Amino acid sequence: MAAKKSVTIEINSEIRDALIEEGARDAYKCYQCGKCSSICPWFQVGTYEFPVHRLGEETLLGLLASSEEKDELAREVDKIYRCVGCEACIDQCPLGVNIPKILRAARRILVDFGSYPETLKSVVQKLRNVANPLGESPERRGDWSSELNVPNYDSRLEYLYFSGCLPAYDVRLKKVANATVRLLQLAGVTFGILGEKENCCGEAVRRIGAEKVYQELTKRNIEVFNAVGVKKIITTSPHCYTTFKKEYPDFGGVFEVFHITQILARLIVEKKIVPQKAFKKKVVYHDPCTLGRQNSIYEEPRIVLRSIPELELVEVENFNHNLSVCCGAGSGGLWQDWQRDERIAEVRVNQLLATGAEVIAVACPYCLQMFEETIKSMGKTTPVLSVSEILYEACGEVF
Amino acid sequence: MMNRIGVFICHCGRNIAATVDVKSLVQEISKYPGVIHCEDYKYMCSDPGQNLIKEKIKEKNIEAVVIAACTPSLHSTTFRRAIGHVGLNPFLLEIANIREQCSWIHKDITDGTKKAGAIIRAGIEKVRLNESLMPSKFPVTKRAMVIGAGIAGIQASLDIANSGYEVVLVEKSPSIGGHMAQLSETFPTLDCSQCILTPKMVEAGHHKKIRLYTYSEIEEVSGTVGNFKVKIRKKSPSIHYDKCNGCADCVEVCPITLENEFDLGLSARKAIYRPFPQAIPNKFTIDRRSCVQCGLCIKVCEQGAIDYELRDEIIETEVGAIIIATGYELYPTEKFSEYGGGKYKDVVNGLQFERLLSASGPTQGEVRRPSDNKIPKRVAFISCVGSRDPEHHLPYCSKICCMYLLKHALLYKERVPDGEPIIFTIDIRTAGKGYEEFFIRAKENEHITYIRGKPGRIIKDGDGLVIWAEDMITQKPIKVHCDMAVLATAITPSAEVTELARRLNIHTDTAGFFSEAHPKLRPVESLVPGFFLAGCAQAPKDIPDTVAQASAAASKVLEMFSRGELQVEPFIASVDEELCAGCRLCVVSCPYDARVYDKEKGVVRVQESLCLGCGACIAACPSGATQQKNLNDQQLSRMVEVIIGC
Repeated sequence: MAAKKSVTIEINSEIRDALIEEGARDAYKCYQCGKCSSICPWFQVGTYEFPVHRLGEETLLGLLASSEEKDELAREVDKIYRCVGCEACIDQCPLGVNIPKILRAARRILVDFGSYPETLKSVVQKLRNVANPLGESPERRGDWSSELNVPNYDSRLEYLYFSGCLPAYDVRLKKVANATVRLLQLAGVTFGILGEKENCCGEAVRRIGAEKVYQELTKRNIEVFNAVGVKKIITTSPHCYTTFKKEYPDFGGVFEVFHITQILARLIVEKKIVPQKAFKKKVVYHDPCTLGRQNSIYEEPRIVLRSIPELELVEVENFNHNLSVCCGAGSGGLWQDWQRDERIAEVRVNQLLATGAEVIAVACPYCLQMFEETIKSMGKTTPVLSVSEILYEACGEVF
Repeated sequence: MMNRIGVFICHCGRNIAATVDVKSLVQEISKYPGVIHCEDYKYMCSDPGQNLIKEKIKEKNIEAVVIAACTPSLHSTTFRRAIGHVGLNPFLLEIANIREQCSWIHKDITDGTKKAGAIIRAGIEKVRLNESLMPSKFPVTKRAMVIGAGIAGIQASLDIANSGYEVVLVEKSPSIGGHMAQLSETFPTLDCSQCILTPKMVEAGHHKKIRLYTYSEIEEVSGTVGNFKVKIRKKSPSIHYDKCNGCADCVEVCPITLENEFDLGLSARKAIYRPFPQAIPNKFTIDRRSCVQCGLCIKVCEQGAIDYELRDEIIETEVGAIIIATGYELYPTEKFSEYGGGKYKDVVNGLQFERLLSASGPTQGEVRRPSDNKIPKRVAFISCVGSRDPEHHLPYCSKICCMYLLKHALLYKERVPDGEPIIFTIDIRTAGKGYEEFFIRAKENEHITYIRGKPGRIIKDGDGLVIWAEDMITQKPIKVHCDMAVLATAITPSAEVTELARRLNIHTDTAGFFSEAHPKLRPVESLVPGFFLAGCAQAPKDIPDTVAQASAAASKVLEMFSRGELQVEPFIASVDEELCAGCRLCVVSCPYDARVYDKEKGVVRVQESLCLGCGACIAACPSGATQQKNLNDQQLSRMVEVIIGC
């Protein structure tokens, strides 16, 4: 006789202990105020219920990813992978509960069991095999710079410029790397790149839950950095920045890390870059979660944009600085296939466009790619440019 | 040198015995040189415990006693009295603290026992060299100073003054009354705040025994418990109070308009002003930061009361005790950008809403929202704004918000019968007499909706607001459209408290509230003798608790005054005049002016009535001439030696 269906739950201490072991300890901090749920970008999407405040409790009861029923487990997996790691919840949580870390614990378990979204599996596979999420050949990682006369890094140069995966391979984002390099050259900064020796920083794969792949990439990068004597790193992406700065030291990799906007702002203040050509447009700056909320870099990109003649910088009212809303690409979100009406990027693009801006300025490759695709799918044409690109254009060069 | 020492080890129930093997300690200590008796008991502080000590002293002719138990700050007085009863000098006693300094912080019984043994042996070595001491006594100035004239300060002043002692009541603003004067009705009985407060204000203002200094600040406090010298700066109101008759003609002509603090910016006042019509003293004051000295007020004042040249006055007086009743402030609304704090006019704090409810407020008690004066048909009340938020704001519960938001909702509903009050809450904390009953009654009768969930955002929406939250009961994301929002921002100590605490040399806790001497047993005394605490200066609390604490502080002061003299612990500095070279390093290091240079002899003496035994001069003395009684260098060295095992 089949067992009677029951709605009563019991505490599953085995799952709870496994989650705690994988880093979900913050669940004990949560006192269930619920503030996280309405600060989460999913609240604004409005078509998918993502009960952030329940995740701590679900951890402690051992309910997270505990179902043995196929459809229900699929729903659970989908839920666990909805978090885009924007950390808006941590920013507002009275107790600083790290919800993304709680979910990462669940993700690690799911990755171990191979029960996670297929698109992400393919990304993890590519990172394991060719150290970039696009599946491109590692030998061609430095090709983007072939016409730019950028030396390979050696210890006589001040900075390593770490382009990151998307700017190295993606046709659109190569332009960002190009602009960056030319600006640095223009200002007389000495720097080099790693070319084919560069690997993905691993930030995204760690947040997807594939900790082993992350650690392999990390160790490989640290070895390469140390072998050529890297001391200071400039990154295009806030994601590379954050993992180099906050996570690599745990693996013995201690470097001085800068996001490109920090370097550009300094060069402008020091008058080593003086933009002279007018950029006569209304520009809205989007604070990337990983740069702003997670690393408190709010002013530098704005310093750069404000230095440009005739550029009118506008803000998204109510949703700027630490209250900025994610583009939806973090923690694996870039590769997720959510339904059209369940896209965080669309919420954000609407907020950005509502300012009447003619150009959206970003400081993160993920945001750039997310917004461009979203704007296109919305049938709109507003250009999305990186802060580096706008500055480069204002310095008199045109692509 | 004491050679017949008795050692008594307390179990303190399981507090000590769980981590210290008391029985084996008794065996070990019994054999220690000079110990003629060692015994344990479950609760040494109890009556049978004390009797046991007394009997053994008599029976075995014990000369000095070590009691191994809890911290000496808890029971040393009790045990001193006990051994005094059987004729032993009370200062031939040492407490070996094996609870706070040992059992409570250790888990392992072997380690705990080992450490307890060391602490006890150190106590034995110390008591061996103790001398019989006599505490000194000195007379007390039977006048009290109360700092802050809100309900706490007023109540404490009245209690002391009605007992026949003089009170110096100092208030920083031009009127007494504090925050309670701003409130509409008070929970849970809904008495009108002004109606129950103003009679007390009048009584304090006219009391023969109360010298009231409003618009005044503490300039300096010196001396010690029983005999403080204080300097008060009475700021010039630029008006001769003896001439001002409160007619308000000056206000009409004053051209300078400012935000009215009493209404928290919801109304305006002039540079010449009276905080509120029921102010005590009922006089006008010129806000000199904004006055342009145009002279218009001088022209209209028939009494000739206005005088721009009137200077600040410095008042010097002596008091025996000081009650600190400096009250609270609300944590700034501007800190909550997620709620549009400081940006949206219709997002107000609890005190602002009190003013909107108050019959004497800017809207005469009609609830009208600040932005456009419309009557709000739906008002959201949000609790725990800044409280219980250790990560970004303040860690503690502000205690009164749950109750006052409920009261707000109820009064709002009374003023706007078709209005809809919605309270957002994490928990509802209604600990207090009649509080839970008030909650149940109000929720049911007044149709108050509670949403369990702390909002994430408040966003402007047309001319209203929309609140984003998760309703945690139905597990649904919810958007609540409303006309205004009240944030129950946290209670924080008054801004001036940090500076005052520094000036008075009084401890504050991490949040800046004044620290009480013991959280349970000495809740109204500060850690510095002679200073007492009342009201929100010590921690957030409601009016009943504030009044109770104010009366308690007053009774502590009265206890001191009725005794008339103070006994000080005799562990003060003493000088070996043979060794003293007269270098006077001690004079500079003494915070109490207790060290005085004797020119004729070329040595520095100790004025025993001023010395508090803080030890500063002892550390400063290069020759070792200055020693602390019953804690001299020889005793300290022996204690260290036995602890480190030589």
